[in-house]
Amino acid sequence: MSNRRAGANRIRGPHSALTDFLAANNISAAQIRDDYERRQREAAQGSNAGEGSARQEQDNSDDSDDEDAALAQAAAEEASKKAKKRKRGEKEAIEKIKKVKAAEKAKGSKKGKKKPKRGDSDEEDDDDYDDALARNMYKKAKPPPGQFEHCEICSKRFTVTPYSKDGPDGGLVCTPCGKELTKEAKAEQRAAIKKPVGRKRRKVESDRLDGLTHLGSKSLQQLCIEKVAQHHHQIDSLGDLPGSVYERLSQIFSKKRVMNPKTLPVFLRPDLDKIAIDDAAYLEVDDYKQIFAVVPHVEHIVLRNACQFKDEVVEYMLEKCDNIKHLQLYAANLVTNPMWQELFRQAGPRLETIQLQWLDAAFDDDTVQEIVEHCPNLKRLKLKLCRRITEETVKLIPGLAKLEHLYLQVSKHQEVGSESLVSLVTTIGPNLRTLSLEHFVDADDSVVDAIHNHCIQLKKLRISENDYITDAGYGALFTEWQNPPLVFVDFNSTRSLEENEPAQAIGLASGAFAALMNHSGSALKHLDIASCRHISKACFMEIFDGATQYPALEYINISFCNSVETTIVAGIFKSCPALKQLVAFGCFDVTHVVVPRGIALIGMPTAQDAIEQYGMGIGVEEAIGRMVAVTG
Amino acid sequence: MRDVKAGSSEYITLVSNDGFEFKIQRSSACISGMIKRMLDPNGGFSESTTNVCKFSEINGIVLEKVCEYFYYNEKHKDSRDVPDMDFPPELCLELLMAADFLDT
Repeated sequence: MSNRRAGANRIRGPHSALTDFLAANNISAAQIRDDYERRQREAAQGSNAGEGSARQEQDNSDDSDDEDAALAQAAAEEASKKAKKRKRGEKEAIEKIKKVKAAEKAKGSKKGKKKPKRGDSDEEDDDDYDDALARNMYKKAKPPPGQFEHCEICSKRFTVTPYSKDGPDGGLVCTPCGKELTKEAKAEQRAAIKKPVGRKRRKVESDRLDGLTHLGSKSLQQLCIEKVAQHHHQIDSLGDLPGSVYERLSQIFSKKRVMNPKTLPVFLRPDLDKIAIDDAAYLEVDDYKQIFAVVPHVEHIVLRNACQFKDEVVEYMLEKCDNIKHLQLYAANLVTNPMWQELFRQAGPRLETIQLQWLDAAFDDDTVQEIVEHCPNLKRLKLKLCRRITEETVKLIPGLAKLEHLYLQVSKHQEVGSESLVSLVTTIGPNLRTLSLEHFVDADDSVVDAIHNHCIQLKKLRISENDYITDAGYGALFTEWQNPPLVFVDFNSTRSLEENEPAQAIGLASGAFAALMNHSGSALKHLDIASCRHISKACFMEIFDGATQYPALEYINISFCNSVETTIVAGIFKSCPALKQLVAFGCFDVTHVVVPRGIALIGMPTAQDAIEQYGMGIGVEEAIGRMVAVTG
Repeated sequence: MRDVKAGSSEYITLVSNDGFEFKIQRSSACISGMIKRMLDPNGGFSESTTNVCKFSEINGIVLEKVCEYFYYNEKHKDSRDVPDMDFPPELCLELLMAADFLDT
């Protein structure tokens, strides 16, 4: 306003009748020009900043910016409030309208300015409409089709057609430039499209099966760690974070398969005492050397899928690190037998943990002999899927007097007689906290009898994939056993695979299961009795009768126990107040289960439902009430 | 304002090392194990009487995000498949350290 008046008393040059007329009506031609130029400038700036073309055509008044922002915010809030489907529909509608508008603009037809009718975003449309109107008013008239025009982008002369595209500044562009523009627009659109919903849903299900979901939001640490993993390529160092965070980040990096030579240095800090890499498949000799060079005081080494872990790496490790106490190496198949032996000879006296898995090429009984000779302080030993070890290993292990935790799994075609296992349990049994015997197919009742007689400190017991030990044998184990109640029990797949089942029940059946729950029910946290097919319905009913409580039980796997049915599941819900997960694959008599709050039931065989059902905020009592209503 | 009603006021104040104060609902702030312990009347910390927690390690920007998280958490307490809270990536390491410190 002020500059209009300012010019009034000055000496002016010659001017036209129109200018006079306008001045008389308090309109300044100079200001109109200035405004126009300012708009042009703003538009140019807008396009430099990389904004969408719609934004550039903003109204000249400043407050419309604010208005837009407010509107956008309001729209966003509104959108977030609505249900997903509704939201998607709405967004599609907006997209469509935008497309239509763009098309109309291209044609430059006056008709196109007709306001589309829509319920809840009238205001937004109004705004667009005004913008477009304002733009049209000030814009230079477009040349009609057939005339020549200079392209706004490349400044070439071209013939205007009805299909010529609008340039970013409102002019027209030639055909090649137009194509480029559409390409860019499409790329933008593609980027804006979200991942398919199906994949997200599958991810949710997968997380649930992994036991990762819980009520409410994730912890802030979890959110941050995920974000860090997302931006892994930009991180130089993690700084002074606690070791537990390092470990979790390393796990996520491994899971996302971004643990590679580039990201590895992030995890190395001289003062760390633990290196845990769950998937070291991308790491090579130099990377392993780097680990031991940067972190020489490491005590605890976990390297899984360490395919490139070679002899020279072991040599380097022995040279640099003289503090290793815990060693976990999976799939380190390039280490030769002599080197394994050298490793245990040199590092042996300090070693407390040795966990080796997936070793096919080397690591044989002679190496185990070296372990027994040179690792007197070994407390934890895990040998799983090591193809070259035989019954000889089972005979050697009793030489490890301080052993507290033992995990053994011999490969499929090795026969290990019961006598070796019995002598193993007899010798080191009294000291054992953990005993895990997987796939000792030929073990018989004498082994469980030895466990009964010699193990008095066990907390975790696993005997799986066996088809000789009888129900009576297991029953005797848990009857009047000196051992305190077990915390972790796994007897999965103990059953006979013969076609004609022997008269005496093989594997953990009714009698033994009752004895087990009687002995360990008070402390038991983890119970796996998958494929123990001889446990009867009556036995389940008696154990999970709803009145007897198993206060610690959090995880139960009753997959392929044929006698389980809906009532038993209800009984389990009632008897296990701490239950978090119940796995019931292949229990076909379980139907119409209403799952109470906080419990995940996995494996229900109804195709339409999610594979896992979740309690949605109802208590155990109400859930059972509803189940009775459905089934009764 | 602070000493209106010591010990049981509905809102508490979190102070960052650069002097920003955030007034936040007590129940939300107690999602953090650390703040919960600071404010526990039986803990005997001065915070439990003044209802003001000072964090000399956390700056205002990070603390603001932390407060935002407290309310985000409170809002989604009983829902499943909660959308992740968004924050700028450059903040995530500092925020991670704060989260670790606050036991959140």
